[in-house]
Amino acid sequence: MSTSIDIRSVTKTYHRGGEALRVLDELELQMAGGTFYALMGPSGSGKTTLLNLIGGLDHADSGEVLVGDEDLTQLDGSALAQWRAENVGFIFQGFNLLPVLSARENVELPLLLAPLSKRQRREQAERALELVGLQDRMDHKPRELSGGQEQRVAIARAIASDPQIILADEPTGDLDRTTADSVLELLQRLNRELDKTILMVTHDPQAASYAGKVIHLDKGKLGRIDDNTAAARN
Amino acid sequence: MALVPFRYNLRSLFVRSSSTFLTILAIGATVAVLAGMLSLQQGFVTLFQERGRSDLAVFLRKGATSEGESGLTLEQCAQLTKEVPEVLRDANDRPLASAELFLAVRLRKFDGGETNVSIRGVEPMTFAIQGDDLRIADGKNFTPGSDELIVGKGLVSRIANCRVGDVLRINTVSFRIVGEFEGKGGYQSEIWGDLNRISEALQRPVRSRVIAKVQPGTDLAAIQTRYESDLRLQPAVQTERDYLASQTKRLSLTFQALGGFLALVMGLAAIFTGTNSLLSAISARTHEIGILKAVGYRPFAIFVSFLGEAVLLGICGGIVGCLMVLPFQGAETGTMNQTFSEVTFAFRTTPQVMVTAIVFAAMLGLVGGAFPAWRAARMTPTQALRRG
Repeated sequence: MSTSIDIRSVTKTYHRGGEALRVLDELELQMAGGTFYALMGPSGSGKTTLLNLIGGLDHADSGEVLVGDEDLTQLDGSALAQWRAENVGFIFQGFNLLPVLSARENVELPLLLAPLSKRQRREQAERALELVGLQDRMDHKPRELSGGQEQRVAIARAIASDPQIILADEPTGDLDRTTADSVLELLQRLNRELDKTILMVTHDPQAASYAGKVIHLDKGKLGRIDDNTAAARN
Repeated sequence: MALVPFRYNLRSLFVRSSSTFLTILAIGATVAVLAGMLSLQQGFVTLFQERGRSDLAVFLRKGATSEGESGLTLEQCAQLTKEVPEVLRDANDRPLASAELFLAVRLRKFDGGETNVSIRGVEPMTFAIQGDDLRIADGKNFTPGSDELIVGKGLVSRIANCRVGDVLRINTVSFRIVGEFEGKGGYQSEIWGDLNRISEALQRPVRSRVIAKVQPGTDLAAIQTRYESDLRLQPAVQTERDYLASQTKRLSLTFQALGGFLALVMGLAAIFTGTNSLLSAISARTHEIGILKAVGYRPFAIFVSFLGEAVLLGICGGIVGCLMVLPFQGAETGTMNQTFSEVTFAFRTTPQVMVTAIVFAAMLGLVGGAFPAWRAARMTPTQALRRG
């Protein structure tokens, strides 16, 4: 069953240089499981902060962040780490691969946290890399891959442990148009074929067009949600 | 709990090879100082322990802690050599006991300056007692009653006029060096001659000690108790092994204390170097810590990962430190012993010394790595990802 996300009156404030900056302001937002969401809005509107809260990378100051049945605001650092390992896959703009590990080893990283045998881990990592079309690049280090290939490795890592939610922060920001499109098609496939709930932060309307719904944030509050299902690229 | 794969740490160390190398070298230098001092201490202790026999009784004047302080009259020596029933006898029924005179005299060193050298006057029976532990390596043994000397191997290259054929003047008497001897332990740092001739030359009418080979299982404390009430004798008696151990104790402790102090001072420096190096390594890898955390590694796993890396650096430093001192294995050096006389001994880097040094280095890594590892562990994923 796909996982829904429920944001209830969430506030997050950052303090910089003695100045308080309210990034999320009592935000209310419900997201259905198994949907591909794009999260848009001007810089400073709270997109990445919201993504981090949903991914358990950061704590809200107040409110509730419910992902499935779990209220993330009630979990401490260690419990959040375990929750992330079991439930979320992250894709970042800068790929965020460990440079000293090969593509396969990078993909195996989250699998080491699961109760799997060495053989199972290897098979699962290879399956994920095959899914993103990198079966012939498994032993390459990140520096030996192109930007698009690096992002594919990052996607393989995000899906390797079969999480229900995939969170992507500007995943195509560093890629050329053609490569970006192939990455976005891949995310779309993961949503359609594997029923993953995907939340993708982007500034790019063309990238957002791959999503089923587009959430617009403005100054830490929900602007509107566009239903893109019919128009979403195929 | 799942730990960060160690190959990540290992490869990161190789990627930062210059910083890794410098940290290992800093720890290695500290460990080399400690291992060096421990090797000297081992050489010194072994020198005397090798020589110390448990079947030899050493009789000194009551209250004397060394033969340099001791003084036994000729009558006391005669009584001890002839009347103690536990003393073994040779094939001709002569007691295997011998009086000896010991004194340190100032002699010139080859490399300039003077030093105290132990002169020992011995009776022929001393050689029977020492047996195979003593061997003439060059020349011949001295003739009893003559002005001839034999010189311990350790002194030949250090003290002037000690080669076979040389003439060595002690007070007003000229002695000819006729032989060079070698054997176990500190005797190699002494000059030996006939007891009576040495006694006359040094103008010392007393003897320093009596050594005697005793029956196996002899209770020396019982001998001491037996003669306690005999006002003519009242000797202090112990095995040669115990006597030599008591003689080396103070210097051995000095080596240990000095080594410990130097290691502490340099260890603190190495801890700071290690901490600094690990902090900069962690700072350069903050983003990677963020990735590990985002993927789901717990703070404790991150702590263990970086602490393990620090301990590995420490162990590598320990091995490098041991390798630095190993070329000196067996090299001889000299110092003043507890009786203020020159004694030569070899540098001994034993397995025990190496294990101690490597454990010390691992501890350096542990202490130096604790703070950086803790700092890495307590960063939130977003802090770490943002800083990268």
